[in-house]
Amino acid sequence: MTNTKQKYTLDLITYILLILGAVIMITPFLWMVATSFKLPADQFTKTLIPNPATINNFKELFGTHLNFPLMFYNSFLISGLVTIGQILTCAMAAFCFAVVNFRFRNLLFTLLLITMMIPSQVTLIPNFIIFKWLHLIGTKAPLWIPAFMGGAFGTFLLRQYFLTIPRDLVDAARVDGASLLRIFWNIYMPLSKPALAALAIFTFQGAWNDLLHPLIFLPAVPNTTLTVGLAFFQQQITQGGKYTVLMAGGLISILPLILVFFFAQGQFIEGISLSGVKR
Amino acid sequence: MKRLVLLTVLIASMLLSACGSKATQGPVTISFMAWGAPEELAVWQQIVDDFQAANPNIKVNVEVSDWDSYWTKLKTLLAANTPPDVFAMDAPLYLDYQSRGVLLNIQPYIDKSSGFLDGFYPVTLEAYKLPDGYYGLPRDFQTVVLYYNKDMFDAAGVAYPTSDWTYDDLRTAAKSLTIDKNGDGTVDQWGFSSDLWDMELFWSEAIWSWGGEVINADYTQTLVGEPLAREAWQFMDDLMFTDMSMPDTNTSGQYGGDLFQAGIAAMTTIGHWAVPGYATVEFKWDVAPMPISPSGGRATSVNSAGFVVAKDSKNPDAAWEFIKYCLSQTGQTRLTELGLAIPVLESVANSPVFLEQTMVTINQQVFLDSLAFARMKPVFKGYDEWASTIGDGMAPIWLGEADFNSTLDTVVPEADAVLAKNK
Amino acid sequence: MEYGLKPLGKERFWLLLLLAPTLIGLILGTFGSILATIVLSFMKWDLLSKPVWAGLENYTALFTNEKFYIALTNTIKFSAMYVPGVVIISMFVAILLNRKIRGITIFRTIYFLPCVTSAVATALIWNMIYGKDTGILNYIIQSLGGQPICWLCTNNAMISVVIVNIWGAIGEGMIIFLAGLTAIPREYYEASKVDGANGAHQFFRITIPLVTPSIFFVTLISTINAFQAYDYIYMLTRRSQGDSSVPVVVFSIYRNAWNFFNYGGASAQAIELAIIVIALMAIYFWFEKRYVVYE
Repeated sequence: MTNTKQKYTLDLITYILLILGAVIMITPFLWMVATSFKLPADQFTKTLIPNPATINNFKELFGTHLNFPLMFYNSFLISGLVTIGQILTCAMAAFCFAVVNFRFRNLLFTLLLITMMIPSQVTLIPNFIIFKWLHLIGTKAPLWIPAFMGGAFGTFLLRQYFLTIPRDLVDAARVDGASLLRIFWNIYMPLSKPALAALAIFTFQGAWNDLLHPLIFLPAVPNTTLTVGLAFFQQQITQGGKYTVLMAGGLISILPLILVFFFAQGQFIEGISLSGVKR
Repeated sequence: MKRLVLLTVLIASMLLSACGSKATQGPVTISFMAWGAPEELAVWQQIVDDFQAANPNIKVNVEVSDWDSYWTKLKTLLAANTPPDVFAMDAPLYLDYQSRGVLLNIQPYIDKSSGFLDGFYPVTLEAYKLPDGYYGLPRDFQTVVLYYNKDMFDAAGVAYPTSDWTYDDLRTAAKSLTIDKNGDGTVDQWGFSSDLWDMELFWSEAIWSWGGEVINADYTQTLVGEPLAREAWQFMDDLMFTDMSMPDTNTSGQYGGDLFQAGIAAMTTIGHWAVPGYATVEFKWDVAPMPISPSGGRATSVNSAGFVVAKDSKNPDAAWEFIKYCLSQTGQTRLTELGLAIPVLESVANSPVFLEQTMVTINQQVFLDSLAFARMKPVFKGYDEWASTIGDGMAPIWLGEADFNSTLDTVVPEADAVLAKNK
Repeated sequence: MEYGLKPLGKERFWLLLLLAPTLIGLILGTFGSILATIVLSFMKWDLLSKPVWAGLENYTALFTNEKFYIALTNTIKFSAMYVPGVVIISMFVAILLNRKIRGITIFRTIYFLPCVTSAVATALIWNMIYGKDTGILNYIIQSLGGQPICWLCTNNAMISVVIVNIWGAIGEGMIIFLAGLTAIPREYYEASKVDGANGAHQFFRITIPLVTPSIFFVTLISTINAFQAYDYIYMLTRRSQGDSSVPVVVFSIYRNAWNFFNYGGASAQAIELAIIVIALMAIYFWFEKRYVVYE
């Protein structure tokens, strides 16, 4: 009896805390949505439901002849390729670091982590020059080819997860004569869906929001990504203090990310409920 | 035997020379980069189309980006040695690029077209002229004037600014136009607002009007801390902290960059580039010349955007053709229709194309008349870093966190250090 | 910690194959760039003319560069608040969400939302929220009877910026912790219950130790992120065309490289930053060896 009461109180506290936190998490977004439908004169009113509501802000956004569909497409294409590249190559490397014992393993891993420490603003120009030697300037290649060459964050994330997968699975597979590749593809990958989904979301979002690389490697608007297009557009609007239009632009830029998240969320649920019956 | 050799050589050289002349066949493609707002992209495209129609063997790839993106991309391209053929240049930054050898000397082209520069406003050419010729040419220019919100003036019963206005008139008007509309203790309407980081918007004009200087003639000494300049700073300080009719940076930051456009400030000082943006507002406004200082001086700032050709451009001839077109009567007229700036050709500036722009009905003549007392925005190597040192150094003042006299005492030596470093 | 299989004979080939993309990436891409950065840090380069050898000048200049010192202090202050904030709060949220309660999906989505956005877009909202006279926060405070706070004024800017960054990172940490928490087999809890353990015991003896891999990961990643934090800080504290009221090292790097024609100096600053983070990393790895529990 006390146990159930204890559970109920704990549950109640949990709910209250979670709801409070959720309000803080989501209010800025509700604000963004609300403001994007307000009239510029009303942009500072504190109401969540705009009255009057208008879609003029979106019209103004699309009326600038910026060819949003093309920019959307470019963003999707590049972000998608980057995500696929990262999931594959980081998983491959993470498996090696987590499961296989080879010479220089620690050294290599450390070197990999070090690559995360130099801000991209500084590696931008050397990167550009490298791609210039490869004659790839002017194509989209510089934006997604690096993604197929591993990545520190992804490898690290997956390595941590792989390390938690019980060793006896591997040993059992070994006894059955499985090769490294088999162990990787048939054991570790299926068991890592939550981590892979997480990596997919982070990678997609990182690529989607990247401003510096598309700016440098792609031609200017309109054949570029959405982020560059919005930056182009934003400077003008920020000057005039029209937050309503800025919010509309912001909303447009994050909507796809949220959609991708919902899509990948399914994997989470599957993964998390599976691990309960893992063995 | 000898004759055979001679003949072979003759034929070979004929073939080679034929190849040589054939090399110029086929359309040449040049790239052109500029900064601007989304609306400008369409206009540049239009100009490019017109140019291509008149020059069928030259194709132009035009790229327009926002200000920040533009310089980042430009510098990357220059660093990697793949520069655009023609690109836009901001006059004050011109020497930073020219002195580092990335611009082409276009004097030879100018010499070939005699009288090419005749129709230009002389002051616009000053920034680009160097002892060994021009490394760039102005495309349009800006003068800074006083903008005022007619509706707000009407509502407060204040008379519009005239060309006889003094800074004190501005101060009085600003006071009456600073209003707390709903009595909640926070000001809702400000009398005057302007950017105080970049000298071009307000403070260089003020200093010059008071008889002071910003920098000395050979760019070795920062003069913003001299007595006459300090009188000008005192005025600005009073406006913001004594009268409280100009918002401090924390307050103005809430409303975006431009309080006048947002309908929060009754007056501002800015160049002609603001006109297209202001044309979209819902209140009536007009412009007046910069006011007169207590000592009777009047000054404003003149600046320009220009064209430059990359030194390593593979098609300098084609690049020059494009520039020539944009600086011709037709090109200038088209650019004027953009509404952003004032054409460098006097004939175009004095014509209805500029004076009676349909975008908005204001007194465009004021921009031209201001040339009479306009001073050039300083152009020298290291300008960017020097201006940042001053802008950053003075920023705490406008946040209400520092007093301007002592801040000037620290900022001036720092600025001088930057000048020395870049000599 | 010696763990893992030893590749037998021709398995070496598979090992190489799996590692190949990462190796290529390391050599070509990242090392190319990092080596270039190191080399450039010993040169003076204005991007437009040829780089000129400068020896240790860029590094010694850092000692006298007051702006860099301020930026460094800010970065460290920021990280000291940000990292614990993210780790603790996101772990807390993950633990709450890991209990079997209804509506998990909705909560998870809401908590993750701030991560699934672009800093540029959301910083605009936060600008509005933090507005001195026009912002929601002060509106709420005032209607509760309090005094409005100038959130983005220089004395409060740091805290305000830390809050926004933590807000934007909780979801990421939460996901990692959730993945880690759910990897803890139920049997452990059930077995301990049989042995008479209560909630607190279970928490401190099972949960915490087994979630140390996630703690390690989140701490490390947060530290790296903290030292490279840029977007939110820039958007919220930039002053006109210039400085920021809370300049951090990345900001200084950016300005030196792109505005001041001082690419060599910027590279030196980047290297300096990297060295500090590497040092911290070494400390973290020492902790990993001692405290992190893998199955």
